[in-house]
Amino acid sequence: METQSSRWLGHGLYLLIMAILISGVYFSGQRINYTWHWERLWPYIVNTDPQDIFAETDGTVVIDEKGTLSIEPDYGGDPQIVREYTTLVAYDGDLIFQGDTLARLEGWRFGPIAEGLWVTIKLSFISLIFSIILGLIFGLMRISHRQVMRNLAVTYVEVIRGTPLLVQIFIVYFFIGTVFDLDRFTAGVAALSIFTGAYVAEIVRAGIQSVPTGQMEAARSLGMNYVQAMCYVIMPQAIKRTLPPLAGQFINLIKDSSLVSVISITDLTKAGREVVSGSFAPFEVWFTVAALYLIVTGALSWAIQILEKRLSASD
Amino acid sequence: MTDKTLNAPIIQARHVDKTYPNGCHALKKVSLDVKRGEVVVIIGPSGSGKSTFLRTLNQLETISTGAIDIDGIELTDSSTNINKVREEVGMVFQSFNLFPHKTALGNVMLSPMKVKKETRAEAEVHARELLTRVGLAERMQNYPSRLSGGQQQRVAIARALAMKPKIMLFDEPTSALDPEMVGEVLDVMKGLAQEGMTMVVVTHEMGFAKEVADRVVFMEEGELILEESPDTFFESNHPRLNRFLGQVL
Ligand SMILES: Nc1ncnc2c1ncn2[C@@H]1O[C@H](COP(=O)(O)OP(=O)(O)OP(=O)(O)O)[C@@H](O)[C@H]1O
Ligand SMILES: [Mg+2]
Repeated sequence: METQSSRWLGHGLYLLIMAILISGVYFSGQRINYTWHWERLWPYIVNTDPQDIFAETDGTVVIDEKGTLSIEPDYGGDPQIVREYTTLVAYDGDLIFQGDTLARLEGWRFGPIAEGLWVTIKLSFISLIFSIILGLIFGLMRISHRQVMRNLAVTYVEVIRGTPLLVQIFIVYFFIGTVFDLDRFTAGVAALSIFTGAYVAEIVRAGIQSVPTGQMEAARSLGMNYVQAMCYVIMPQAIKRTLPPLAGQFINLIKDSSLVSVISITDLTKAGREVVSGSFAPFEVWFTVAALYLIVTGALSWAIQILEKRLSASD
Repeated sequence: MTDKTLNAPIIQARHVDKTYPNGCHALKKVSLDVKRGEVVVIIGPSGSGKSTFLRTLNQLETISTGAIDIDGIELTDSSTNINKVREEVGMVFQSFNLFPHKTALGNVMLSPMKVKKETRAEAEVHARELLTRVGLAERMQNYPSRLSGGQQQRVAIARALAMKPKIMLFDEPTSALDPEMVGEVLDVMKGLAQEGMTMVVVTHEMGFAKEVADRVVFMEEGELILEESPDTFFESNHPRLNRFLGQVL
């Protein structure tokens, strides 16, 4: 039996150990003469620097009464038009050469890390939806009465689970991607969905099989057909049982999505790699990237826990 | 409907033979007729094929050879829509098999709404009526995990009745119950019998058989050995039946 005071002691001990670990990181940084520059990271997350707007061709500047800046190109073609800016650098009638600064735009933009995070979230979310669809289809095929369906499902699951995700990404991108002319992002989504779908299929199968056979018999004896029994009786119970393993699988999906950077998708990991070379702050960047992954996976497992609580009303 | 079809048995099982895929010969040429409104009780030792036979009547178990006719519909015909037949044949299981994710009310309403396409309101009125009839007016919003065994089995009976079946099949409905809850379930079943429901009941409750049954059937090793009215049944000096009754009583 844990008493109240021994619980508080445990919490205290935990904080102490964490403090030692964190200062360990700090002092090991000092030992190798690492100077921390967390502030260098900001522009890579949210960029507040003014942005220069450059001329695309040689030409003459025209500024109309509404303040719209346009360039009449010297050698014909469509004029370049600039509507959004904060301060003008060029004046009406100026002769301009390609690459000259025309105006400056102040404000903020997302930096590469924030954009990478968004790509990771988008990639994971779309793959999650497709992996659920694939998992449901192949999970149901796996328990089908037809031998051909079962064989197909087993093949899919075994092939995918038996090969590394990295290799699958290359195959999808270089082979399937070339045949069907897929862009990088689609190829990445496809590889991740197919990979995760195999695991979801196994989870779905196990979930359905964990529902006692009496449930199907009761549903059928009430006149429901197979599909109705599945939808209204078996699946609602199976989903409840599969939520914890599914949560684990989806967290893996988010982490595995970092592998798509090998086909040049600028996800959070790839953005991290790029920022490291520009910022000279590798430790800060990788700690930040890790923390961002942790936030996304944490949010997902929190959402699933809420769902679990709501479904446990009948326990 | 002519008199002839009215008086024809509502269940006609002819030479029903069943061999499980593992080679177990569970039913050997079982024939049984049940008339409208009749209550037939099946008894027999464990493994004698009682459940198997009962489950062939709504095709939860397919048969190897023979024929089963339910209210004029031949179950083995390939044109028979078994889901339609099952609407007419309610079944109550030893292990209740309530849907754990639905309340008592939800359990009773589900099939009428999904299969008979009743509106929620219609289904609910009927479900409340049925649950009140089995004595569960106070427990309608409870999930099965919050009901006693006896209460669960009564919900299961209400759930089967919600489809307005013509026949009710009971497979050892009281065997999983604590002794003090057996009575409440048997009372509901007696009520049903008095209202003229056609019932086939597998049970070890000899008191119920004597009091309610129109006919008692004894099965052993997949065969139907004896089929009598309760009075003659329990007086008959059939050696195998006596051996079985000696063990049960
Ligand atoms: N799904 C199955 N597969 C193979 N054999 C089975 C199956 N179900 C039942 N049997 C066998 O068929 C025979 C009859 O079983 P059944 O369940 O009908 O008996 P029962 O009379 O209902 O027994 P109990 O009183 O124990 O319920 C038994 O020998 C049993 O082992
Ligand atoms: Mg049985």
